[in-house]
Amino acid sequence: MLLTFAGQTFEPLLSGALFWRVESILLVADLHFEKFSSYARRGQMLPPYDTSLTLRRLERDLDQTRAERVVALGDSFHRDYGPDTLLDADRLRLMALLGKSHWTWISGNHDRAPHALGGVCVDVLEHRGLTLTHEPRRGTRGMVAGHLHPAAAIHANGRGTRRPCFVHDGRLLLLPAYGAGTGSLNILSPPFHGLFDYRTMEVTMIGQNRLYPVSTKRLVGGI
Amino acid sequence: MPLHPRIADWFASKGWSPRPHQLAVLDSFERDAQALLIAPTGAGKTLAGFLPTLNDLTHTPREGLHTLYISPLKALAVDVARNLDAPILEMGLPVTVETRTGDTPAARRTRQRRIPPNILMTTPEQLALLLSHGDSATMFAGLRRIVLDELHSMVTNKRGELLSLDVARLASYAPALRITALSATVARPDLLRDWIATPLPDATTELLLGAAGAKPNLSILASGQHVPWAGHSTLYAVPELYEIIKQHRTTLLFVNTRSQAEMLFQNLWRINDDGLAIALHHGSLAVEQRRKVENAMVAGKLQAVVCTSTLDLGIDWGDVDLVVQVGAPKGASRMLQRIGRSNHRMDEPSKAIFVPSNRFEVLECEAALEAVEIGAQDSEQPSLGGLDVLAQHTLGMACAEPIAPLAFYDEVRRAWPYRDLDWETFERVLDFASTGGYALRAYERYAKLRKTPEGTLRIASPYYAQQYRLNVGTIIEDPTVKVRLVRARGNKTGQATGPIGRGGRVLGEIEEYFIDQLVKGDTFVFGSEVVAYEGMVETEAYVSRSNATDPKIPSYMGGKFPLSTYLADGVRKLLSDPDHWRVLPEQVADWLRLQHDVSVLPPPNSMLVETFPRGTQNYMVCYPFEGRLAHQTLGMLLTRRLERARVRPLGFVASDYSLAIWALGDFSGLIRTGRLSLDELFDEDMLGDDLESWLHESQLMRRTFRNAAIISGLIERRHPGKEKTGRQVTVSSDVIYDVLYEHEPDHILIQATRRDAARGLLDIERLGGLLKRIRHNITHKPLDRISPLAVPVLLDIGKTPIFGEAREGAMADAAEELLREALGQGEGAERGKRRVVN
Repeated sequence: MLLTFAGQTFEPLLSGALFWRVESILLVADLHFEKFSSYARRGQMLPPYDTSLTLRRLERDLDQTRAERVVALGDSFHRDYGPDTLLDADRLRLMALLGKSHWTWISGNHDRAPHALGGVCVDVLEHRGLTLTHEPRRGTRGMVAGHLHPAAAIHANGRGTRRPCFVHDGRLLLLPAYGAGTGSLNILSPPFHGLFDYRTMEVTMIGQNRLYPVSTKRLVGGI
Repeated sequence: MPLHPRIADWFASKGWSPRPHQLAVLDSFERDAQALLIAPTGAGKTLAGFLPTLNDLTHTPREGLHTLYISPLKALAVDVARNLDAPILEMGLPVTVETRTGDTPAARRTRQRRIPPNILMTTPEQLALLLSHGDSATMFAGLRRIVLDELHSMVTNKRGELLSLDVARLASYAPALRITALSATVARPDLLRDWIATPLPDATTELLLGAAGAKPNLSILASGQHVPWAGHSTLYAVPELYEIIKQHRTTLLFVNTRSQAEMLFQNLWRINDDGLAIALHHGSLAVEQRRKVENAMVAGKLQAVVCTSTLDLGIDWGDVDLVVQVGAPKGASRMLQRIGRSNHRMDEPSKAIFVPSNRFEVLECEAALEAVEIGAQDSEQPSLGGLDVLAQHTLGMACAEPIAPLAFYDEVRRAWPYRDLDWETFERVLDFASTGGYALRAYERYAKLRKTPEGTLRIASPYYAQQYRLNVGTIIEDPTVKVRLVRARGNKTGQATGPIGRGGRVLGEIEEYFIDQLVKGDTFVFGSEVVAYEGMVETEAYVSRSNATDPKIPSYMGGKFPLSTYLADGVRKLLSDPDHWRVLPEQVADWLRLQHDVSVLPPPNSMLVETFPRGTQNYMVCYPFEGRLAHQTLGMLLTRRLERARVRPLGFVASDYSLAIWALGDFSGLIRTGRLSLDELFDEDMLGDDLESWLHESQLMRRTFRNAAIISGLIERRHPGKEKTGRQVTVSSDVIYDVLYEHEPDHILIQATRRDAARGLLDIERLGGLLKRIRHNITHKPLDRISPLAVPVLLDIGKTPIFGEAREGAMADAAEELLREALGQGEGAERGKRRVVN
């Protein structure tokens, strides 16, 4: 399926990435590499495999799309020291990915400091009239962001479910969190208030094997 | 030492003499033996438990801890302490008694560790905390006795596992100590005896039987009303129940779930023209409210209390003269326990009435009645060696002092559930507690347990001890949210905008998964009134008063206890033997006769499978009588197989008695032409690959994993009030499970989860037994239409969760609706319309 936003056409992927085919750019938000290992420092020994799973998703998406550029929309590392805690095997795989495409790392609130892994570290990227950034702001036309980890909860015919989603209102587009260790937030919850014009809001939920553009009337609030 | 004169005189002054089993316990202790005392409620078990301590301390008064009393309930510990205080005071004995619970002030707790009382009353969790302190060896060195109350209720779950490990540690500290365990009657007393014998292999352990109490006076409500086919509301019996309450002093009405309690309470009040004092008691109510009810009851101010299992155990609730079990009894042992709540004196018979809420439950009540008459018990196996519990215990012990692995291994194996633990698994648990135990050794530098030069393991930072103490225990509640009553904000459906009124009173707490399924405006019963859901505000659910009489959302009402194997057998026998139906109400016997005429009765040693068309679909209904959990698992596995066999199953619904699957394919025709074989369909090999691949996708596994992850200390408990951070920041246990399962499916925490799921939520053991029993032994009956016996389970469709592709289905529906909207087809008609499932 295709998603049209600010005059551009994108292909949302099941992984949570957005492929901008005419520009050959793969957009991903909130990778949160090394999230679990950052918990281990405080005594919570979460499985050290989230980075590896996120890398695998990236490898597949890049193989499939053959994107020439990757733009990571911030919070790529769960902590600024994230690049240091990478296990050797994960580091090698990340290097291989950096060698295949040109990477732009947009800084996020979790990873403000630039790093020297490769690619370019910037705060904001303007491209073809779009503003690619981490934290969404109201009132800018054509902004693509992450940060909030959007998920939609819906009810239809007595059944309900909650899944990560892409959401936009023609002015602002949010990507779901891409990282394997990330959680999500309901798009009707307070952090989203005032960001979107509900009348023009479009929501695309990520299902098991396909994407579902869903009617916003079915959205329900909650955690 | 014989009974001290001061104690003997006290008995005499009361006009009593010690009961034989009380003297037997004393005698055991004098001979340096341990004892398991099995006696019914009201038999003076508590005094029996403490008599040796009182006697010993009266002969030889001393300072320091002599006896540790452990009860499954905080309230019970407090109650028993109170009951013991009186005789000690009256006899003027030199014995100090104190309780230690979560409510004990910090200053007293610290003092108790330094200067302990002679008798300390506490719970398994508090004992674990005590043992995690460095001074515990000193505190317990002189311990002479442990009294374990209501042991039967603790050993069947993870609390029992934790308790067994803590008792093993106490036995290491004080090898001279002796254990006395008190238990209600159980099917396998030898198992309980082994359980207390294992920590102290050098002591002999005696089994003592108290005299049986008077036979209870039991009956099934002989209702003049029509007993419903299905459902759990028991609405038909409410007027009759009201009359029965009027005829008794204090009636306890037990139900199986919170929602049943709410509904019954509400229905009784609707007809309470005499203004009887009828109260409600269940675990979701605010604590103050529960205390109020308890106090009013002890004071004899209540005529009836509608309650759930919160009042199951041992506290003496005053003058209850009738116990009513509303809804299915589910197990013989639970019934004995509940019946024992009435007439807390063993020489008078307890009185109890069963009130079945539907026809199958009539059969179940009859089976339960016969079981109680002959004193039969469900054979519940004590729970076996959970690795998550051992991981928690390991950290706790490391908090107290460095662990010497070899000695610790020997000690752990003196805990009954862990007696067969192998060294390799033990090492993996140590490794898990230390660094997470991952094949990829990523966290060595963060290890929580560090190797000392002497080869012991010590806790790496006091921070981890603090973390352990905040997370101790094995009881994991389903996540709940507070329910607050606010003013409604208008009845318009649609967009959730506009402010919600704030600041009403808190009605209690409710499971998060229940709230998750609600939409604004949905009505449900809570706190004994019908309320309408307004929305979530931060971590609280806001509701408003509703004038609706019938709630729109039925909460799941089957209850969490599955039918016990013993009762299931009873029901099967009763069904298959028409001579036995005399005892049944005429309408129920008629129903069975009708089944006999149009189909067949489920044979006692085979399983009946009926197949019939209905509407555009085809149904297969089987009658295993193995309880809802086993049936759900069977349903999941069968639908997978039917899908592969291209029968195109659409969904299934499971009850305690039967399982119904519906499909597009024609079951009868496929079986007749040999394209579908029931023997192959029900083959035991479904417990292999099919089970594994389904488990991986199953929500049950994720829920079970969450519990194991919290108990083992992998993730922290959610502490009330500390949940401010949003969901995107915390790590959900589902995500951890997915990551771990995908990368290391043999990790010990996944193993522990699999074991727990198989034992608990999936009831694999019972399913396995069923499949073995019915091998090449299935009675198939093709029918033209639905059979009488199949009616109840089909009526359950729409009331209980239906399994299938519900989650994806909801999104597909919402997507289709969008499409229709785009094509300009009437969306207005759809708006606000939801299938009413009640």
